[in-house]
Amino acid sequence: MIVIADRLFRRSFDSLEEIFAFTAAFFATHAIDAGLLPTVDLTLEELFTNMVKYSPGGNPHIRIEMATTEGGVEVTLTDYDVERFDVTRAPDVNIDLPIEERRPGGLGLYLVRRLVDSLHYEYSNDRRQSRITFRKTLSGRAG
Amino acid sequence: MLKIESGGDGVAVIAGRLDAAQCPAVQAFLEHVEGVVTLDCRGLEYISSAGLGVLLKTQKRLTGSAGKLRLVGVSHHLLDIFRYSGFDQIFEIEAAG
Repeated sequence: MIVIADRLFRRSFDSLEEIFAFTAAFFATHAIDAGLLPTVDLTLEELFTNMVKYSPGGNPHIRIEMATTEGGVEVTLTDYDVERFDVTRAPDVNIDLPIEERRPGGLGLYLVRRLVDSLHYEYSNDRRQSRITFRKTLSGRAG
Repeated sequence: MLKIESGGDGVAVIAGRLDAAQCPAVQAFLEHVEGVVTLDCRGLEYISSAGLGVLLKTQKRLTGSAGKLRLVGVSHHLLDIFRYSGFDQIFEIEAAG
């Protein structure tokens, strides 16, 4: 797989606007179906903001790589100088609870797992580096 | 960018992208609404879990005092997100025509 876009973003919620501009430009440049963009943006936001919230002492920058795949995209986020946090093992929220029992939180990763075709996590103990890769294609899951 | 403003007669109008960076402004606006409020989502292009959290918090507060938040003009994509989140069980939602 050839990485065809790669950029560092500041560890801040304020980077979201730049991230969305990055994905939109990538989609336009490579003529990727625009119907996939909202899910890619949502997934990137959820994973990126998790890194910002839960690893405030990590490297000031988080890397995002985007590559084309057949019928869609593959995206990798790399977080440096952080503890392990496996997003694929986060507990699911119960979306059937009545409103009195619903609490904000946990919904982001639940949605990500529901919307993308695949989601992989790897952690390097030596480098204290987390890498999350997801794939979204037209033939994949809903959303 | 995101914009939220009063549309009069219990209607609030939201437009743009409701991501985590925009939530504080939306939260500040919705903290002041009371009763039955219709949120016109025709211009809402995007919402993440942070935005869903703001809507949930508002709904919990309003339903606690016999009010509620209605979501109208919801796009197909956002409707999917609301359904996947179980929000169709706790909000009255009207899809865009």
